[in-house]
Amino acid sequence: MSEKSVTRSIFCGFADSVARFGEHPALAVNGERLSYRQLSHKVVALASVIDSVEDSYPLVGLLAHRSVNAYAGVLGILGAGKGYVPLNPKFPPERTRSMLLLSGCRTLVVGSECVSQLVKLLPRLEQSLTVILPDVSDLASISSEFSNHRFVFAGDISQAPPHSFRTDIEGDAIAYLMFTSGSTGVPKGVPIYHRNVRSYVQYVCDHYQVTERDRFSQEFDLTFDLSVHDMFVCWERGACLFCVPEQSAMAPAKFIRDHEITMWFSVPSVIGLLSRLRLLAPKSFPSLRYSLFCGEPLPAASAERWLQAASNSLLENLYGPTETTIAISHYRWDEKRSPEECVNGIVPIGWPFEGQIACIVGENGVELPPGRTGELCLHGSQVTTGYWNDGDKTREQFIHLIEKGEALWYRTGDLVRKDESGCICYLGRTDHQCKIRGYRVELQEIEAVLRKVCNTDQAISIPWPAREGSADGTVAIIAGKQTLDEKIILSFCSELLPPYMVPSEIYFVEHLPLNANGKIDRPGLLKLIGG
Amino acid sequence: MNGLSESHLIKLVIEWVKENNPKRRTEAIEINQNTDLFKSGVIDSFGLVDLIVYIESEIGCVVELADTDPEEFSVVRGLCRIALKGDHSG
Repeated sequence: MSEKSVTRSIFCGFADSVARFGEHPALAVNGERLSYRQLSHKVVALASVIDSVEDSYPLVGLLAHRSVNAYAGVLGILGAGKGYVPLNPKFPPERTRSMLLLSGCRTLVVGSECVSQLVKLLPRLEQSLTVILPDVSDLASISSEFSNHRFVFAGDISQAPPHSFRTDIEGDAIAYLMFTSGSTGVPKGVPIYHRNVRSYVQYVCDHYQVTERDRFSQEFDLTFDLSVHDMFVCWERGACLFCVPEQSAMAPAKFIRDHEITMWFSVPSVIGLLSRLRLLAPKSFPSLRYSLFCGEPLPAASAERWLQAASNSLLENLYGPTETTIAISHYRWDEKRSPEECVNGIVPIGWPFEGQIACIVGENGVELPPGRTGELCLHGSQVTTGYWNDGDKTREQFIHLIEKGEALWYRTGDLVRKDESGCICYLGRTDHQCKIRGYRVELQEIEAVLRKVCNTDQAISIPWPAREGSADGTVAIIAGKQTLDEKIILSFCSELLPPYMVPSEIYFVEHLPLNANGKIDRPGLLKLIGG
Repeated sequence: MNGLSESHLIKLVIEWVKENNPKRRTEAIEINQNTDLFKSGVIDSFGLVDLIVYIESEIGCVVELADTDPEEFSVVRGLCRIALKGDHSG
């Protein structure tokens, strides 16, 4: 696509719904409910301030969490014609600093619920920022303590001039920059373009026949790209988004019932949790129309358990790495046919969305026929073009395939097999990437941190306890350093890694066991920790 | 029912959380009956399941969370009250 081409912003769907469904509820969060018109007023004010900052950089950071300003922030940034970079108050300040630095953002929108994290972040920054706090009155202490940064408070925003949204933007404009775990020890930025998200939203809205009467759950943190589905599929059709509070996210059964949610979307781990808490009684969730799961392998037993509770809903297993925009394939559960189509008790990832293409290749890069196991490569309008400022990694993962012309394909690293009908089953990974409670984790990133603090090459992290293709957490094994203090190691990890990546325990051994090929014997390590 | 009082159960829950929370190795965590287990980060969803299993083993009956408010069961005292409310065996 040429630089001069124009595309519709993902903001358009919201803007159209403001015009069509102005008084219809758009957002329910923290006991507050805002109509499209009310939310739009906040978005206009914020977009206007972002415009007035006169920062020509295309990205703006967002540090906000499950609040009105988190959502107004996403929309305000997009409405100002910028892409948003979500940051997470649950991540350690050092990781947030790293993400902010890598993104290059010079403007940051912060919700009042994240001011304490902001205060920890600012002293770590070398670059000067414009910090916009839409719901914080003048905080003189912050302004004076961090005088190298410019602050814009609520009072300044209310005086902002009227703003007209930017709905048509350059074809290569970024909608959001999402960071995922990176194998080198540094988070990896994935830029997703408006055209990628528009393609996804249009397909999914039609496929699920979304209407203004739908009520969407919003369970994912903004740093998880599945949150983009919740927000933009919902607002595209004038539906209402219900933010699941932190406490309800632990056990959302009552939340689904109280708010009569019609569209549920979460990681499959939630099913196991609710089941263990005996919260999946038959017909518990009669309001659900669709139950969507994504982010990690979905066990067939979990799908069956969920459908007993959500018996009026259709269940789909979605699949898609961040690089392919939210999800790119789907499989609809059928109680008669599906149990036989599962492989190793895991629900298939199904067929690519219309217009997206999957190709399964062998080690030589040549396409394999149905029935053969190989690496899944993806191509289509939802697939991004590379990593943020990382040419080497881009060339490694975005490739041309033999006999497939000039098309660029994303190598997923997922091992799959398809049957004669084209239905794809997930079988595992080609590398050490794993899913911890739905979060994508490069074990090498944890190991890089461990090597640094332990000053050794002999550091391994293992998903543990593992269950049905996913894991609850990790443990670490350190060789030849028995005198190290576990507390110091874990504290160091907590400063650099998000909570779900911090090992729950450290095992100290004399030597790492090796297999016949001289490689580290990971199954042997599992035995060592009692697996 | 094994006749546990609310205050005794609160004490047991606090001890369990101190011994099992993921931050125990790196931080000195202050936990009392008013601590919000989720907001304070001393427990996650998997920890909640383990804690419920522990409480059930102590009180000898099932803890019913189906119609309870998360804001109540996320606090130590609220969780203990819910657990003992559902204890019909005695």
